[in-house]
Amino acid sequence: MFFSDSTSRRRFLRSSIGGATAVGIGAAIPDCFLQASERALHASERILVVVQMTGGNDGLNTVIPYANDDYRSARPKLAIPDADVLKCSDELGFHPSMSSMRQLFEDGKMTVVCGVGYDQPNRSHFESMDIWHTCRRKNELRDDGWLGRFLATQDRPVGGDVLALHLGQEKQPFALASNRVRVPTIRELAEFQLRGQKGKALSRFLTKSVEQAPAQSDDLLKFLQSSTASALEASQRVTEASQDYRSELRYPETSLGKKLRVIAQLIDAGLSTRVYYVQLDGFDTHANQPNTHAILLREWSDAVSTFIRDLEGHHHGDRVCVMTFSEFGRRVAENASQGTDHGAAGPMFLCGGGLVPGIIGGYASLTDLQDGDLKHQTDFRQVYAAVLRSWLGVDPAAILGGQYAPLPLFASMADPTLG
Amino acid sequence: MTEVQANRVDPDWAWQPFEPTAQRPWDRRLAAHLYRRAGFGADLATLDEALLRTPAEVVDELLQANREPIPFQVTADSLAQTILASGDPKRLSSAWVYRLLFTPSQLLEKTTLFWHGHFATSADKVTDATLMWQQNQLLRSYALGRFDEMVEAIAQDPAMLIYLDSTANRKAHPNENFARELMELFCLGEGNFREGDVRELARCFTGWEIKNNRFRKNRYQQDTGPKSLFSRTGPFDGEEAIAIVTEQPSLERFLARKWYRFFVSDEPQPSAELLQPLADCFRASGLQVAAPLTMLLKSNLFFSEHAIGRKIKSPVEFVVGTLRCLNATTNTNRVADGLRTIGQGLFYPPNVKGWDGGRTWINSSTLIGRANLMADLLGDSVTRFDGKPVSEYFRSLGVRTTSEAIEHLEQCLLVTPLSEQTKSELRSSVELQSTQDEQGMRSLLLTVTSLPQCQIG
Repeated sequence: MFFSDSTSRRRFLRSSIGGATAVGIGAAIPDCFLQASERALHASERILVVVQMTGGNDGLNTVIPYANDDYRSARPKLAIPDADVLKCSDELGFHPSMSSMRQLFEDGKMTVVCGVGYDQPNRSHFESMDIWHTCRRKNELRDDGWLGRFLATQDRPVGGDVLALHLGQEKQPFALASNRVRVPTIRELAEFQLRGQKGKALSRFLTKSVEQAPAQSDDLLKFLQSSTASALEASQRVTEASQDYRSELRYPETSLGKKLRVIAQLIDAGLSTRVYYVQLDGFDTHANQPNTHAILLREWSDAVSTFIRDLEGHHHGDRVCVMTFSEFGRRVAENASQGTDHGAAGPMFLCGGGLVPGIIGGYASLTDLQDGDLKHQTDFRQVYAAVLRSWLGVDPAAILGGQYAPLPLFASMADPTLG
Repeated sequence: MTEVQANRVDPDWAWQPFEPTAQRPWDRRLAAHLYRRAGFGADLATLDEALLRTPAEVVDELLQANREPIPFQVTADSLAQTILASGDPKRLSSAWVYRLLFTPSQLLEKTTLFWHGHFATSADKVTDATLMWQQNQLLRSYALGRFDEMVEAIAQDPAMLIYLDSTANRKAHPNENFARELMELFCLGEGNFREGDVRELARCFTGWEIKNNRFRKNRYQQDTGPKSLFSRTGPFDGEEAIAIVTEQPSLERFLARKWYRFFVSDEPQPSAELLQPLADCFRASGLQVAAPLTMLLKSNLFFSEHAIGRKIKSPVEFVVGTLRCLNATTNTNRVADGLRTIGQGLFYPPNVKGWDGGRTWINSSTLIGRANLMADLLGDSVTRFDGKPVSEYFRSLGVRTTSEAIEHLEQCLLVTPLSEQTKSELRSSVELQSTQDEQGMRSLLLTVTSLPQCQIG
């Protein structure tokens, strides 16, 4: 198995670099090999984890302009009481459910980008999500996503690991769609294997039948064959990779917590996957928002912060960045059902090592509105551009379909493609 | 097939009634296609019977069966009622699985499933099994009837309004969610209305509420002022507003496109020109759903290579279809749970847009899940084929050799024939001694259903 070679290479290198004398053979390794491998380890293996808040997160009650009177007057019922806000500056603070995230923020492991959106906002969940996923509007050809286009620029990683993984029972996000790379979706690790006595034989048969299949002119069949091949391959590698993981930390017993724990397992096992994608649904809070929103923000905040701490504990803290977004924010004014309707701009969040921590981007005016919604201050593609250039090390222009000035989100990070 | 080709389909030819020819005879392949699309599939005996009539006659039969026979209805309903006593919507799913597996009114059930994906409402949020069941009955009763009446009914359906947070629409701050989805997802499609229309339509629905799980109008909360909707102005109420929305010509185009995807092909996208005759037929019939579906199912296009094998089976089509084609009975609870695992939980659509279908049915998890679900069903001792173990079932049909068994499965389950190489590998890999071997036969069935070819419908 290539994969186990890659794993043992990582383990071997880690122990050789860290304690050459302890294993006794470090001195025998030629320098050039060590350097090349080190570069491979540290430069090319940066990982992006995307967390999608599905349904349109109420950004105004997430990063709260608590000192602004207009906030309270627009939301007589939904405004978070001043005393409960977890203050980060003289003007802004977090929702009270986000205490673990606030700790991350104070430790310099978190960057908040305020007022992110795009021109002529679309208030359909589906159309707006498609815009975020593809960076294209409806009247343009849309057959792949921004991450899919990034994946297409990448060589197949060492050991044939999958380039990206989607964890969850939702349909696969459009962002990962690519004409070249098939991204697996894993619902739960346990279900990601052919079951029963016949499972292995069936897997062998299917693999062989797909490999030997004549070239197809039928697009759908070709798609099904490559999906079957990638499913069987990913199933085997991921199952092998996820064994023997131990963590000092207790992840929250939530759906997001469990998914992020699996990702930590896979990262620590040395899978050379570059992008992981998870979703947290339920942000479409048209009615009875306070309780729902508090639960969702707590789930997100606790799971992501535990994930970051866990990665740090396993020495991966500097090579993993978690980016959180939602398809739109919500209306400034509350509705009559103690909820909020679909709006426009909202905050994005980045967590992990290597960030310029803090709050960047201007907070939109609560009175100078566009159709009752916040006007965006930053285009979401400026965040993507920073992630692509400074974190994943590729030229963003082609992927995003235009020039977007990257935001200064990452600290003194040279372009790794030049390293 | 490329995009260009599909766009070049001549609309006049496409919607003319199909007449079998020597090149395109009315055979098992075409009959199987019709039963798969207008229903969930049929065994070879049913296909052979259908070949004694013309394709148009079979379509008419499928349409005439738009009311369930009373004895079946009584059985299916009482099964659901028994389950409702438990209050668990998850168990309710298995009552629907029973209908899907055994209904004599296949087209009615197929369209009911279509409308469930269209007016998607999830029990995850509604949580009340009785309300989900009522909505299911509502969809079945309007499935092939008048669309505008169905929209009015769904706009007052408790499960729908709970799902879209519209249980109390007050004058002071109208809730926009239902109004937006009514136009975007149910009637007109994104881009065919403006933000202003959303707000005005939400006002028309003020006063509509759900109290004690029943719809009622609260006239104190009704905004009686003038509203402007699609360039018309007046003090419209909800019913008048629905009439205005369903008058919009984007309605028939939006639905024609959805039916095309559901009944004809996942991709490529049909041209607007190709869809127009179907849309016109729907409008001309006074929004009777049966009219465009009759036109579609009898058409040249439907029986052409633009449609045959041009869809990926949905989980329901895959599981229910496999079972129906082999006259199988099984544990319906297991099917219901399994459907959810592989991406199509009945009563649990992923969001208000329903299932996207096509390639989105397929990913590593669902492909492996499909094989695992078939393995579970085949491993379950209650699974029977026409009341028998599968080996005995084959014997009773005169299937004697492994090759004959493979051929039988190929004809009833697959759109395109398998290559000689695949067949010979199938014969050797499942190590069959003969069709007497029950384990061998089940393993053959599992392997065939796990093939990429078997996911095409």
